[in-house]
Amino acid sequence: MDSFEPKIVAFCCNWCSYAGADLAGTSRMQYPPNIRIIRVMCSGRVNPSFVLKALSVGADGVLVLGCHPGDCHYLTGNYRARRRMAIAKKFLEYMGVEPERIQVGWCSASEGSRFAELVGEVTDNLRQLSPNRMFND
Amino acid sequence: MKKIKKQSVRGLLEKWQKDFSVFVPSKASGSSQMAVWDGQDLAFLDRNRNTVVPPKANFLPNIEKMFGFRKEEDGYVLEPADEDAPRQLIFGIHPCDARAIAIIDMVFRDAYEDKYYLSRRQNTVLVGMACAAPYDNCFCTSLGFGPADATDVDIMLTDIGDSFVIEEITDRGKEAVAGAKDVVEATPADEKKAGEVKASARAMLSKEIDTDEIAKRLPAAFDDKSFWEEIAAKCVSCGICTFLCPTCYCFDINDEMLKDGSGARYRNWDCCSFAVYTRMPAENPREEKWRRVRQKVYHKYSFYPELFGIIGCTGCGRCIRQCPVNWDITETLNNLPAGSAARTEEKQKPS
Amino acid sequence: MTKELENKLREEVRNLLEKGKVDRVIGYGAGSLRFAATPLIISDKADVDRLIINPFIHNNLSVFLPDVSGKVAIVAKECDARSIISLVQNKQIPRENVYIIGVPCSGIIDLGKVEKLTGLDRDEIDDISWQGDKVTIASAGGAKEFTAQEVLADSCLGCDAGGFREFDLVIGEMKPVAADKELIRKRIKDMEAMSPAERWEFWKNEFSRCIRCYACRQICPVCFCDRCFVEETEPQWISPLPRWQDNLIFQAVRMMHVAGRCTDCGECERACPVNIPLGILTGKMEDIVEELFEYRAGMDKDAPPLMAAYQPEEAEDLIR
Ligand code: SF4
Ligand code: SF4
Ligand code: SF4
Ligand code: SF4
Ligand code: FES
Repeated sequence: MDSFEPKIVAFCCNWCSYAGADLAGTSRMQYPPNIRIIRVMCSGRVNPSFVLKALSVGADGVLVLGCHPGDCHYLTGNYRARRRMAIAKKFLEYMGVEPERIQVGWCSASEGSRFAELVGEVTDNLRQLSPNRMFND
Repeated sequence: MKKIKKQSVRGLLEKWQKDFSVFVPSKASGSSQMAVWDGQDLAFLDRNRNTVVPPKANFLPNIEKMFGFRKEEDGYVLEPADEDAPRQLIFGIHPCDARAIAIIDMVFRDAYEDKYYLSRRQNTVLVGMACAAPYDNCFCTSLGFGPADATDVDIMLTDIGDSFVIEEITDRGKEAVAGAKDVVEATPADEKKAGEVKASARAMLSKEIDTDEIAKRLPAAFDDKSFWEEIAAKCVSCGICTFLCPTCYCFDINDEMLKDGSGARYRNWDCCSFAVYTRMPAENPREEKWRRVRQKVYHKYSFYPELFGIIGCTGCGRCIRQCPVNWDITETLNNLPAGSAARTEEKQKPS
Repeated sequence: MTKELENKLREEVRNLLEKGKVDRVIGYGAGSLRFAATPLIISDKADVDRLIINPFIHNNLSVFLPDVSGKVAIVAKECDARSIISLVQNKQIPRENVYIIGVPCSGIIDLGKVEKLTGLDRDEIDDISWQGDKVTIASAGGAKEFTAQEVLADSCLGCDAGGFREFDLVIGEMKPVAADKELIRKRIKDMEAMSPAERWEFWKNEFSRCIRCYACRQICPVCFCDRCFVEETEPQWISPLPRWQDNLIFQAVRMMHVAGRCTDCGECERACPVNIPLGILTGKMEDIVEELFEYRAGMDKDAPPLMAAYQPEEAEDLIR
């Protein structure tokens, strides 16, 4: 299959992963330009409806990023995100969404390189799939 | 009157297919509704009980594009949706559902000319079928007609065993039957048989309401809050009884925008059971459930008669059959408070 | 048997009302449709004799609890009682305001299944009688016999009655249901055997029928939000138009929102007027929640809601 350039929507928490993304940028690290970042205050803010909304308006994949377990600015937001997103991944897979399209990860404010790596990996993963046409008529 | 052998109906439907989209009662999609005839299935000739989704969906679809719009330099340009609705023939519609369309006419044709509705309405032929097996909760006979009434269709079919007796009611109906193969004159014996079938269908109905008594009691019942609270207690405020009611026509209008400033305006079903239906910035006049349940009853049994001289319910029984908690409009209507004194005797009996 | 239970129930309820232990009682009364039971909410002793119990009491009455004021007694099958506890766990009702009257339940007869098996509508059926593991259905066309498993609601086939201890009173003796886990898992297994694309196609097709009546949400005891995400307009998550895409997103998100609160009671599927098999989703969601977090909704009133708790290490294999 011809590979394509996936569009990825990333929900990044304000305190760690968004700062991590920022660091990757200011340190001029290379990462694929496929990602569109939406900043949320905490990964715990991400409702499964965000994920489906992104997929339904044409994102090929969704990446939810939060602070590492134990590091959440609001103490437990990422633990809830973990439960919520684990369920979303499993359940939507059951409904027919390829699991690669929903990715969750942790990335701290100092991990600019990790951010770049994660984006690279997720982009590569999604390139193996076909473009998201799930919501086409 | 004319008649056609059952085995020849396929040919008639095929003839109609050339001029119309032919809709028949079907469960093929997984739900019971009027669906485009697949050219094969003829089960509805022998068994045609009323569909769950009413034929109003053929006139007021749940998704109706009203127009498109585009942003140009000096303002918006409107792009009309499809000009004319395709010609459709609805086969096997029951008298109650045909009556329901006549009732909707009063709103969408007489009180206001709704071009979307009218375009569909004018391009439709209704082929009615007398009810051979009314549901046990049908009560059309209480509403001034019956399970074999031909008033509101273009053509009426009555099952007399191996054939249907055909009544051509309107010119449109005559036109549709004209030239059809295998349609012959009915004999007096056939007509007599059809009369008996109709009478026996009528006799099968046992559920009743007393519309005169209801009309008398409704004005005073309006303010009996405790009555409505009790009546409404088990309703869960879903959209089933209104969406599936053949006369309910409420809609919502939404614009859908695309990024470049273009978009389209759509209309879809809405429902007075939902609390959001009347939600406004400052207040919601029907926030409480009992007010919404009351609205549903009054719209059909009080406001419609006031405005159009007809009750806006056909007694089809869908709202009773499909309700997830078996809320029954006839129990409400038959137990309306007669006035303040009579309220205490009103302990309703479970049937 | 049923008559005995009914009398016992009426006696207990009369007692509760007389002694002023409760203000209201939520139970079942005779419905107007053939075989149907209907929710009955009473506060007057004179109405006690309208209460009934039979194998058709499918409604999960806990949906009414948050709206009924005062101290409330509620007639509950074991599955309904789990929903009640789920509501307590989620702080929708205080436990002490509810008096749970357990009724022995050997399963609920699913009239939808009966109609499918016989090809008849319920008003064409004269009698349904259930003895042991046989159910006999009589109509003008004669009597037909089915196994109880064939006509019981899916949620009953998956029931593991017996583990639940939160009743305030039990009428008669709790008996196990003719459960058949394999049978109820069948629909889920069939689904899992499909490829992702086939599964998506399946749901696309099912949800293209949805008329967005929201009966599934309204009948659901644990869909208790005052404002549902579907009604949000800024931003708008889904269109109000019942396109399959929006219908599917509505239901998928609803399922994810009730995860850990849903007890797979089956009411949403039974309510759906266009026969969308929602139980294939609720059943799987229960499995997912149990597999990932060893959690079952409504089993322990003191356990925190699924989404309000966590273990320091869990589900990490799903995280990058
Ligand atoms: S269908 Fe029944 S529960 Fe739903 S709004 Fe109508 S009366 Fe209420
Ligand atoms: S109110 Fe009920 S019985 Fe009357 S027309 Fe509507 S659905 Fe039929
Ligand atoms: S009950 Fe069925 S038709 Fe109604 S909104 Fe739910 S899934 Fe759609
Ligand atoms: S989602 Fe359906 S099965 Fe689950 S609790 Fe709600 S009504 Fe019952
Ligand atoms: S603030 Fe980063 S996950 Fe909560």
